[in-house]
Amino acid sequence: MTATVITFIIVLILALAFFAYSCYQRFGLVLKGKPDNRFNAIGKRLGNMLFYAFGQRRVVKKPFGINHFVLFWAFMILLISNTEFLLNGLAPDTISFSLLPDGAYFTLALIFDIMSLLALIAVVLAIIRRFTFPPPYTEARSSDAFIILGLVAGLMIAFFGMNACEIAAGTDRAGVWMPVANWVASWLPSGASGLDTGAQVCWWIHAVILLAFLNYLPYSKHMHVLTSIPNCFFKALEKVKTQSREEFKKGNTFGVGEVENFSWKGLFDSYSCTECGRCSDACPATFTGKPLQPRLVIHDIKMNLLKNADKDGHKELPLIGVEGEGSVKEEVIWECTTCGACMEVCPVFIEHVPRIVDMRRYMVETKAKFPEELLLLFENMEQRSNPWGIAPAERTKWSADIDVKPFEAGKTEYLFYVGCAGALDARNRHTTISLAKIFDKAGISWGTLGRDEMCCGDSLRRLGNEYVFEKMAQANIKMFAEKGVKKIITQCPHCFSTLKNDYRQYGVELEVVHHTEFIYQLIQEGRLKLKSDTDLGKIIYHDSCYLGRYNGIYEAPRRIIASATGSAPLEMERNRENGFCCGAGGGRMWMEEKEGSLINVARVEEALKKQPDTVCVACPYCMTMFDDGLKDKEASDKVRVLDLAEIVANALPDE
Amino acid sequence: MAKEPKKIKRPRGTVRLIPGKCIACGARCQAECKFDAITMNENGEPIIDLEKCTRCQRCIKVCPVEAIEIYYTPEEQKILDELAKQKAAKPKPEPEEEKEDPRLAKLKEYKGVWVFTEHTEGKPAEVSWELLGVGADLAKARNVELCSVVIGEKVDHLCNEAFTYGASKVYLVDDPVFHYYRTESYYKAFCYLIEKYKPEIVLIGATGLGRDLAGAVATSLQTGLTADCTGLSIDDKGFLLQTRPAFGGNIMATILTEFTRPQMSTVRPHVMPLPAKDASRKGTIIREKVPLKEEDIAAKVLEIIGDEKLDSVDVAAADIIISGGRGMCNTENYKILQELADELGGVVACSRAAVEAGWMPLERQVGQTGKTVRPKIYFAVGISGAIQHLVGMQDSDTIIAINRDKQAPIFEVATFGIVGDLFQVIPAITAYVRERRKQKAGKAG
Repeated sequence: MTATVITFIIVLILALAFFAYSCYQRFGLVLKGKPDNRFNAIGKRLGNMLFYAFGQRRVVKKPFGINHFVLFWAFMILLISNTEFLLNGLAPDTISFSLLPDGAYFTLALIFDIMSLLALIAVVLAIIRRFTFPPPYTEARSSDAFIILGLVAGLMIAFFGMNACEIAAGTDRAGVWMPVANWVASWLPSGASGLDTGAQVCWWIHAVILLAFLNYLPYSKHMHVLTSIPNCFFKALEKVKTQSREEFKKGNTFGVGEVENFSWKGLFDSYSCTECGRCSDACPATFTGKPLQPRLVIHDIKMNLLKNADKDGHKELPLIGVEGEGSVKEEVIWECTTCGACMEVCPVFIEHVPRIVDMRRYMVETKAKFPEELLLLFENMEQRSNPWGIAPAERTKWSADIDVKPFEAGKTEYLFYVGCAGALDARNRHTTISLAKIFDKAGISWGTLGRDEMCCGDSLRRLGNEYVFEKMAQANIKMFAEKGVKKIITQCPHCFSTLKNDYRQYGVELEVVHHTEFIYQLIQEGRLKLKSDTDLGKIIYHDSCYLGRYNGIYEAPRRIIASATGSAPLEMERNRENGFCCGAGGGRMWMEEKEGSLINVARVEEALKKQPDTVCVACPYCMTMFDDGLKDKEASDKVRVLDLAEIVANALPDE
Repeated sequence: MAKEPKKIKRPRGTVRLIPGKCIACGARCQAECKFDAITMNENGEPIIDLEKCTRCQRCIKVCPVEAIEIYYTPEEQKILDELAKQKAAKPKPEPEEEKEDPRLAKLKEYKGVWVFTEHTEGKPAEVSWELLGVGADLAKARNVELCSVVIGEKVDHLCNEAFTYGASKVYLVDDPVFHYYRTESYYKAFCYLIEKYKPEIVLIGATGLGRDLAGAVATSLQTGLTADCTGLSIDDKGFLLQTRPAFGGNIMATILTEFTRPQMSTVRPHVMPLPAKDASRKGTIIREKVPLKEEDIAAKVLEIIGDEKLDSVDVAAADIIISGGRGMCNTENYKILQELADELGGVVACSRAAVEAGWMPLERQVGQTGKTVRPKIYFAVGISGAIQHLVGMQDSDTIIAINRDKQAPIFEVATFGIVGDLFQVIPAITAYVRERRKQKAGKAG
């Protein structure tokens, strides 16, 4: 064993030991989190991992993501090369690709050479990008970023250097098969004496950078190199549409006020964040200049975990409420509309919204500290089971002029769950009446709960008032069971999503459908025929978050508009999965926007760019937001807002 | 044998619903009928089965709007008159002694009308004095004492003030443990006093604090509590009649606490008038020591977060509010509202649209995300009446809406509505009020 090998063994052992220690320390922190079963359905999980992590599926949705795709795969392939490299350092004469037959050796040499070139190009492009069209946040140009890029570049250059020296010295027979290294070699004097030393030097540079890089990973945002593939394995099997239940028992904590009360997956998420900023780019709060930036929330969670690492018990840095890195400011927690755009674009499937709701739960249930406006909302919900505190007897006012039957078990097929807005909001009542007309025209057997209907509780759950939500959900489920309700049509997407996805956690499976889906079904089945000559001018369709991203309903409403008007609606620039929130979700309907510009006005401006005559929505919140937004932009005499149901009711045949 | 008058069969009559009078109160008649003779139709109206009906007339008596009547045909009426004549001819028997319900006997021990004096660290809440006004009437009708209850620390001055507003006695519990209001300490002290001195009526202001205390006391004493009363009086049997709106404000319900004491009521501020103050009045202070220790009380007051905006206008406290919305178009136009407010002694408020547009400051905003107000008169000027605004003012006593859009939802809740141009209507109202003022002043002078 030569001195070189012995030195290398020592270096390697030290590096690996330190790396193991760093990982042990970092991942030990993750294990402090609450339990979360992410080991079921292993087959499906492996599939996710292959498709999203190895397939880089979401990364490439943005054009520059291709650069990362290249870099990722270059790294994957070069892993083989680097493994051989390290083993070769331990046993230089016995472990080497050069010992393979020519065909194999030359192929590998070529592949590795090209891959290294691609990696180098990718890195250079990344560096250039940071100076020419950088991501909008300052950390993109942080030292962390440049260090990593520098290290990778160094790694590649050392690799070429090493091979070039060996080619020039004549000690590597694969010469021609390594085009880049060969080209570099052509600049070197062949057969010179310094070449061996040159090769050695390059070898050591490569080795040191490699091991340094490895050890740097756990201390930088490039921890994602280790965690992103597992994170795709651990990703939620179904789209994240709800939050988990809480157990209201003495001695439990409610919500998350200390970082260890997150589930271990939540903590692991924070390690997987690549700080790519796609989430913040998609976030309506960030877009309108508010302090909430999803990327920073995840970053703060990670920093809080790390900064509090040694302190068991009393935490020095609180998770919520302090200025600076590692703590989430209170107002940030409340600015989220739970639109889910962040989770839709995250390449590693970080779950931002559940973390925010966790913190909201802490603020509401443990600290009783929340925006003033919510006090009235909570009171009204608890006492009158609607957000406006209106007497429940008023819920039947919308049906005063028409004939509406109460739901009767065994006799009525569908429960039409009108919702609070549908019954009590003057503007939204028109949608409810339109739906009544449509159902009657199609000969549907339907009925309502009348004055007995209670609020679904959606706003409360998203705002973190889980205790009251649980009471409301249980009361509703009990009523549905007593009344023999099996099939439900909802007017509002929030009621729809809550009854369908949230109530399932209480052990009941309800067959719930939103009015857009239902109308589409009726048209498909031929039970509803529409005149296709409705003239509402140019119609632009706005995707509601709780219909679209949450529940995947995109095409049905568009096809309905096409049926009623003869042509498909105009599309917003940000549509379907990329739809931009109206600003009212997540309980924000009941709060004021205190900073930045208004989210609904931003969306209205986006709509107005296409110069529509009509904006078509399918949600009472969106309707209110667009109504208000158009008034703010003084466009309400030129553009009208209609619910899809109203458009359809208008298009019903006359007889 | 003397010829006895022929035994005429007493006509039964028909018990029936007077069409259109039923308010669907919730089937009280059905609940009251002991013979299952009443079923309800889908409009909540009673259907009376005359076969089962015994004509006991309980349903007629219990109906809050007298929608059920017993009807006799003219022939039947003649027979009834005949029977009445016969009865008058018969000698009258001795009237039976009305047997008193034994439960009521125990209640006679309870005497006195008590009013709780609410205060924040020694500063009294005006509602406490308002209740002394109506309390005095009740005490007079019952011929008992009017007393105040003061619980706090170093609050002797409140006793003296209570005397000036009409209390003849004050029960005082003064101890550091009562410095800040806490449910546990206050309700225990109050219950101690009530159990010792047995008042028949206890009145508390329906503020946040009052509601908290009243509920705790009533539950602890297992007695009846009527919240948010708008009327209090004594009936001929000496019971407290507690009147309040019910069923979303569709009817006025009068509630009796028949079998338990004390009869407890809460009344909102500004519902009862402030009685005249007489600085010379004096009374007796009865000091009580309640055995409560700080260590026994779980809740501790850690921090009091004050409302910094103490000197700006508080629209929630005003009795008359003139509120302007999107229809106002700019800040300067609010001057016309201010003029009307000055004439009427009210304040100017606004809807969210005005705050968003920068015409008015945030503390004037009424609505879901602003203030909730319950003034006597609310002018909604150029406000469409979207539900987010209604939430903040729907409980106002009188709502006057002025809007040029006759379809505006505000007209659904307004008591009075004017469809017109606010820039013409408001100055016209202001001018009229000014004119009337001048006339009145002229007459007086």
